[in-house]
Parts: sequence; structure tokens; C-alpha cells
Amino acid sequence: MTEPRPSPVRITAAGVRMGMDAMWPLMPGIAVFGAAFGAAAAQKGFSAAETALSSGLVFAGLAQMVALEGWTHNWTPASLLALAMLTFTVNMRHFLMAASMRPWLGQLPGWQAYGSLLFLADNNWAAAMRYHAHGGNDAGYFVGSGLITWVVWLLSTVAGQVIGGGIPDPKAFAIDLVVPAFFIAMLVPNWKGRREAVSWGVAALVSVAASYLVPGWWFIVIGAVAGALAGGFADE
Amino acid sequence: MSSALDPGTVLAICVMAGATMFNRTAGFFLMRLVPVTPRVRKILDSLPGAVLVAIVAPTAVHGDTAMAAGLAIAFIVTKLTHSDFFAVLAAVLVGASLRYFGV
Repeated sequence: MTEPRPSPVRITAAGVRMGMDAMWPLMPGIAVFGAAFGAAAAQKGFSAAETALSSGLVFAGLAQMVALEGWTHNWTPASLLALAMLTFTVNMRHFLMAASMRPWLGQLPGWQAYGSLLFLADNNWAAAMRYHAHGGNDAGYFVGSGLITWVVWLLSTVAGQVIGGGIPDPKAFAIDLVVPAFFIAMLVPNWKGRREAVSWGVAALVSVAASYLVPGWWFIVIGAVAGALAGGFADE
Repeated sequence: MSSALDPGTVLAICVMAGATMFNRTAGFFLMRLVPVTPRVRKILDSLPGAVLVAIVAPTAVHGDTAMAAGLAIAFIVTKLTHSDFFAVLAAVLVGASLRYFGV
């Protein structure tokens, strides 16, 4: 990934289209998960407008789902702080994902880079990094894949809120396998040899150990940082 | 809910949005302050794979048999077809079937 790239980094309409097309295999799974969140939100008293606001602004399925557990209508400064910390830790992996995009998106004008990053989600980040690792340079790929994910997430959560009950249990249809299976499909082509063996091995061991030892969602960040450092020093 | 937009709910949503927007942008911003030496570059290059593994490995370990089997199938199908679509489809079909039969 260190060789010079032929063209400057830009966001083109063709790239946006390419990114949207790359995401369609995931959309049924995201729509079912979104509908399930919408139905759960309805049970907690969310209106359709509130569901749309949450999906549109927060745009983080796992964090939205987890936060729903402790949702109240009497927010205090203390409970809002707890909510902020919960959201921050559940989604802290995005902090690392965004950091990893610096060499690529850092070549864009600031407003384009930060605007694009607001659409960062697990799936489109993983797909865009694979695209970039294989020589792709059009940041529109990241924007388009993020945009389509945002639209499908927003629409499906609102649909779930409106329909309410009767949404099938996502687990029965193995929807919870969609994202990890997609991650594996993104990982396999990145295997090059020793560096990956060390980095991925350390990430796996440390994240699993941390998932037992550390409460909450820290295990992702702890495992990822350990694996990245191991990969960075794997050549000595 | 009685009202379409309850002020407390809107406030809480905005707090969450602030946290997710911070996560989405702060890591990118901070990397501007880190000089990208060859070493940092290698660490950054290793980061995407490490993040994915750190999510998938605990998911596989803590999941049920259907999860483990589905993820194994996803690996095999990716190897054979190089298609993320078929990998996800196979994982879901295997996972849902196993759960249907109560494995």
C-alpha cells in the first residue's frame, strides 16, 4: 500500500455508484436488523419521528439497540453522561476505523473528508478499505457505500417502528451472522503472510481474553490496538 | 408516545449523536498530529485487519454453534468463490438451518 498512486484522491459520481453497488448483498440483512430495532424502539415509546431522528443522527445500530435497554423519559445530567459513555464505548471501534483512513481520506479537502466520515459504519468501512487495499483510490466508493447504508438503515428502522409487532426474530433467520460473515469475506483477501499471521493472531487472542476480563465493549479496541501494534513490529 | 418529538428523547438522541460523531471523526483528526513514519504506516496498515479480527473472534467464541458453523462456512466460501455475497448467503443459510433444527 505504500507505492505511489496514479491519480489524486477525489470523490466522483462513478465512485459513489460503485460503492452503492458493492453494498447490496448486505442490504437485506441490514433492513431486517433495522426493522427489529424499529419495533423494539416502538415498544420503548419512540414515535416514528424519534426513530428517524435516532437512526439519521446516531446511525449506529449496535449502540442504538444497546441504549434502548436503559431508555427513560426522565433524563438527568448523570443518566445523559452514562448514555454518552455507553455510546462512546460501544462505538469506539469507529475511532480506530477513522484513524486507519487518514492516509487515504487525508488527501481530500477537510470538509469532504469529515463529511464522508459521518457516514462511517462497519460495513462500508470494511468494504472501502478492501477496495483501497487493492488499488482503488476514489473516495466516492466510501461515500456511496455509506450513503446507501444510511438510507436503508433509516427507512427500515422507521418501517419497523410503524409496523411494530410481527417483525420476525432476526436471530431465527441468522441475521446476526450477516456482519461477521461479511467481515470474514473482507479479511480473507487481505492475507499476505507473516505480518497478518502475527497481527491477526494477536488481535484474536487479546480480544477474546479481553472479552472475558474487561466489562463492556472495550475488547474490540484492546484487541485491535494490540493486533495493529503486533503487525507494525512483525518484521523484526 | 403522546408527542411526535419528546424533548427528553430528542436531547438523549443528540447526546448519542455527539458521541458517535466524535468517534467517527476524532481518530482521523488525531492522526493528523501523528507523523506518519514507516513504523506508524505499518501499524496503520495492520489496523483494519486487526479491527475486523477483534470483532469476529470474540463473536465466534461467545456465539452458539450456528454462529461458529456459519462463520466457518463464510471462510470456506470466500476461499472458493472470492465473493462476499455468496459468503454471507451461505453463512445465513447454514446458521438459520442449524437454529431451525435446534442445533
